[in-house]
Amino acid sequence: MSDNTPVASRATGSHGPAVVELRGIKKSYGPKEVLHGVDLTVHAGEHVVIFGPSGSGKSTLLRTINLLEEPNEGSVRVLGVEYGPGLGAVEKRGGPLQLRRHVGMVFQQFNLFPHLTALDNIARPLRSAKGLGRSEAEKAAATALQQVGLLNWAAHYPAQLSGGQAQRVAIARALSLDPEVMLFDEPTSALDPELVGEVLGVMRQLAESGMTMVIVTHELNFAREIGDFHVFMDEGLIVESGPRGFLDTCSNPRTKQFLAAVL
Amino acid sequence: MLATYDWSLIWQYRIDFLDGLKVAIEVSFVAMILSVIVGIVLAVARMSKPPVSWVAVAYINIFRGVPALVSVIWVYFGWSLLLGISFTVFQAAVIALVALYSAFIAEIYRSALEAIPRGQREAGLALGMTSPRVFVQITLPQATKIAIPNIGSMFIGMVKDTSVFTVIGLLEVVRVTQNINSITFQPFVLYTAAAGLYVIAAFAIDFVFRAIEKSLTTPPKGRIAQTVHGRRRRRVEQIVRDYQAAA
Repeated sequence: MSDNTPVASRATGSHGPAVVELRGIKKSYGPKEVLHGVDLTVHAGEHVVIFGPSGSGKSTLLRTINLLEEPNEGSVRVLGVEYGPGLGAVEKRGGPLQLRRHVGMVFQQFNLFPHLTALDNIARPLRSAKGLGRSEAEKAAATALQQVGLLNWAAHYPAQLSGGQAQRVAIARALSLDPEVMLFDEPTSALDPELVGEVLGVMRQLAESGMTMVIVTHELNFAREIGDFHVFMDEGLIVESGPRGFLDTCSNPRTKQFLAAVL
Repeated sequence: MLATYDWSLIWQYRIDFLDGLKVAIEVSFVAMILSVIVGIVLAVARMSKPPVSWVAVAYINIFRGVPALVSVIWVYFGWSLLLGISFTVFQAAVIALVALYSAFIAEIYRSALEAIPRGQREAGLALGMTSPRVFVQITLPQATKIAIPNIGSMFIGMVKDTSVFTVIGLLEVVRVTQNINSITFQPFVLYTAAAGLYVIAAFAIDFVFRAIEKSLTTPPKGRIAQTVHGRRRRRVEQIVRDYQAAA
């Protein structure tokens, strides 16, 4: 374990066992190291919010959780199985495919498939990832659309949806796989301000239903409201982290400086 | 001396001309399908890591530079000797075209595949799809839509290139024209007809490829696209109704 970073540790409180455990995560692009050894634990039912300036490595960190970014060093454990390079001996190792079937992800740019209807955006990957039959997958896709209130838009293509609707379809798509944890990579940053609310509404519902969530966001009021654990990152390291109320109680000058600038 | 032009020859030999055009289009069509398949493989190889990409780059750069006439002679006479297989003229013509045009189509597909945002692939992977599935279901359909107009141009080029296959005796438009000319001695009339046929074919091919391109636009715009996508839309709407009825 790296000793140059504060370990994000705290009492588990009302939350369950660890779902995601990142230890000593280092990531480089060529000679440039963007994560310098980061530790983070996410417990079942917990809502972890990661914030910080752009280029701080928060998105990269989030993307190591489902191995869209492969860390150069460190351990990525999800539900007790090692998916990263690991630290020391590894008893149980899984492949990226297995990992991604436990982890849902929502992107800043939605990344809906433009050539498929809203329903097929959900049904196609479901058939492939879960091996469902066609009508089974379509039924599951309809259920997922219903959950985000967009069943009536099932036959529409992404280009026919507003940004807010598109992001809700993307959330439904990630949820359809029944993930153990949901990752949100700045889910409202690409939206018109008046459409942010509907997406946050869906996320709030999801949080209330007890879903484990890791959220990279600049919506700090939303973060304050649903975040059980807050992580402030800068220059590839976790500067400071803390439980609910962190935005008011944080003490590191860099954190305070950032919050003063954005709040 | 004022030549007399017998334009009625065109009508008189219309069946022969059309048969010639049919052969040209058949050869080109088969070659186009195969070129697209080989081209996609080459494009993927070209975008892979060395040394695989080097092989693709070498192939593409060599075969883009070979003229169709050289290619067909090389296949029909050269390969036959080398491999001890005697190709039919049809086979030789198809192979000659595929060898050249797969190189062009590889480049068309490479740029089309590179135009697809990285997030598309990432979303597919994040949803637990395997990499080949993401390619076939997500990336390739979107790239194909971009590639279609250029593939249409390639198809027109192929049809025109079949004219040099007269050299191996393929009964395409030029060969037919030569044959008729040897009996009637009316080159101006006959080659005007041949040229006209190629132009009409190019227009027709362009029309068909525009229709294909339109049918691939999503959301569907226009009658063609709506007809193509109509069935899927009705099915999705039926799924929604079934779901609401069950709830």
